[in-house]
Amino acid sequence: MVIPLEGLEYHPSGGLADQHGGPAAVSKSAPLWVRVRKNHWTTRLIALAAFLVVWWILTTPWAWNGDKPIMLPLYLPSIPSVWNAFIRANTIHPIAEGVDREVVGEYGYYLWQHLLATLQRIGIGLFFAIVIGLPLGLLMASVKIISVSVEPYINFLRSLPPLGYIGLLIVWFGIDNTSKIWLLFLAAFPPITIATIAGVSGIKEDQIHAAQSLGASRLQVVSSVTVPAIAPDLITGIRVALGFAWTTVVAAELNNGIPGIGGLAYLSGTELKTPLTITCIIVIGITAIVLDSIIKAMERVLTPWRGKA
Amino acid sequence: MSRDKSLVVDGVRQFFGPKNSRVQALSRTDLVIEPGQFVCLAGPSGCGKTTLLRLIAGFINPSEGQITVSGSEIIGPGPDRGVVFQSPTLYPWMDVASNVELGLKFQGVSKDQRRADSERYLQMVGLTDFAHRRTYELSGGMQQRCQIARVLASDPEFILMDEPFGALDALTRERLQNELLDIWRKTGKTILFITHSVDEAVFLGSRVLVMSPRPGKIVFDEPAIFSKPGESIAAEEIRSLPAFLELRERVRSSIQHSH
Ligand SMILES: Nc1ncnc2c1ncn2[C@@H]1O[C@H](COP(=O)(O)OP(=O)(O)OP(=O)(O)O)[C@@H](O)[C@H]1O
Ligand SMILES: [Mg+2]
Repeated sequence: MVIPLEGLEYHPSGGLADQHGGPAAVSKSAPLWVRVRKNHWTTRLIALAAFLVVWWILTTPWAWNGDKPIMLPLYLPSIPSVWNAFIRANTIHPIAEGVDREVVGEYGYYLWQHLLATLQRIGIGLFFAIVIGLPLGLLMASVKIISVSVEPYINFLRSLPPLGYIGLLIVWFGIDNTSKIWLLFLAAFPPITIATIAGVSGIKEDQIHAAQSLGASRLQVVSSVTVPAIAPDLITGIRVALGFAWTTVVAAELNNGIPGIGGLAYLSGTELKTPLTITCIIVIGITAIVLDSIIKAMERVLTPWRGKA
Repeated sequence: MSRDKSLVVDGVRQFFGPKNSRVQALSRTDLVIEPGQFVCLAGPSGCGKTTLLRLIAGFINPSEGQITVSGSEIIGPGPDRGVVFQSPTLYPWMDVASNVELGLKFQGVSKDQRRADSERYLQMVGLTDFAHRRTYELSGGMQQRCQIARVLASDPEFILMDEPFGALDALTRERLQNELLDIWRKTGKTILFITHSVDEAVFLGSRVLVMSPRPGKIVFDEPAIFSKPGESIAAEEIRSLPAFLELRERVRSSIQHSH
């Protein structure tokens, strides 16, 4: 097995969960087992290759199995069929073999249009989650009555599975975009509010005192101390919120979810187009990882003092 | 200078903790600090020095008694009382210069004026090269100097300093002592200066206080004659004066006996 290593240097702050940083440089001529021990990317590539090999073994027709794959395509489609589904979803193609009529992607939209529609919903939901969740958190952190009375409802809301109340939202806001955005908003705002409250309670009181002794008004204390001081927690909250919103996206798009990557995943599943479902799952997963890395990068750029002061 | 502009600590006691297991940090304290005094406060660790400073700063309210400035009661922090904290309290989301300028910014001073002032005070504390670094890139002593520059730049009437030179090397410490004396001589500001160094207290102060351990009580209160507004004597000259050595000895023994 040949693992391509060229151009893949370990990035100390990249990757998903490498808190225990690997060393900066591992010689390319080092034996594989050294690279595995020292380089997370090597490890990941090997794991991915192993995964693909297992997939391939399970989905390839074998002579000893009567020329059938170990798992039937309906349950686990082969790698090429998933790839074909991916290509189909991104091109104009005949509606069926030997038919003249051509259609765009899947259900009238290219795959990227499905993804974009979902990202838009998430973006709007997250935007409102921040616009409402941040001030609510600040209010709850500073006014006891509000915190005491509102907190139980936030915890209540947080514990509900989105599938439980999507029907209600559809009754209230219709089957179109509004109810979907509401669902994503409701999933996203509690983590932001809770992170804001945690951030405020973590502010060192002398940092407030110092500002007051320098003549800061109430508003100046909030803008110069409170808001920047909670920024690291807030970004963490947004990261969690985005994760929540992303995992509820299929629920949000269960009904009338086309275009939408979650809707596409659900619909293709119900129509037994498993290769397309798996394509959607892969796209959903990769997008989530990319979004998460973007927020982590923002974290590094916007709050470089995190953990240092 | 009229007496009514002075800072008066009137029958103040301070307790911490819940009612049934409270700790007394300050026993009844009466103290009048006249405008223009350079008051140095020494005493063993944990005796209540910081507590007294925080009361005057308005960070905590006295359990008993009251503190007034110019006759009006202190009910909270204010820009008339600048504070240099015992452990540096800077804002890591701003660079060093912005930290120093913050008081001026709150006062609405123009950006150019702020820059000029911060450059002056950063130069004074020797941080010019670090003006655009983040505060967490500074060493402990540098952070302390940054704090001092921040308070001086905001130009308060009272300067409350809690062991400001504790983390500095002897040379820097001496230089900043002289700078502070210079500022005090020129501006006639009122300074409360907490220190563990008896030598520093006697050298800097126009008045030296010693506090006994818990519950804190002021057990020594004498004028020190060595630094006066308007005149400057060389540091070595002061430190060799018999009167200086004599006062230093008495302050030292009062701290020892207060244990
Ligand atoms: N916020 C607080 N809560 C409870 N106890 C406190 C608090 N602040 C101070 N104390 C107690 O009050 C006493 C005096 O503390 P203070 O910080 O004033 O001492 P200090 O003289 O400044 O000591 P050091 O020289 O070590 O800084 C100590 O016993 C301390 O434990
Ligand atoms: Mg102290």
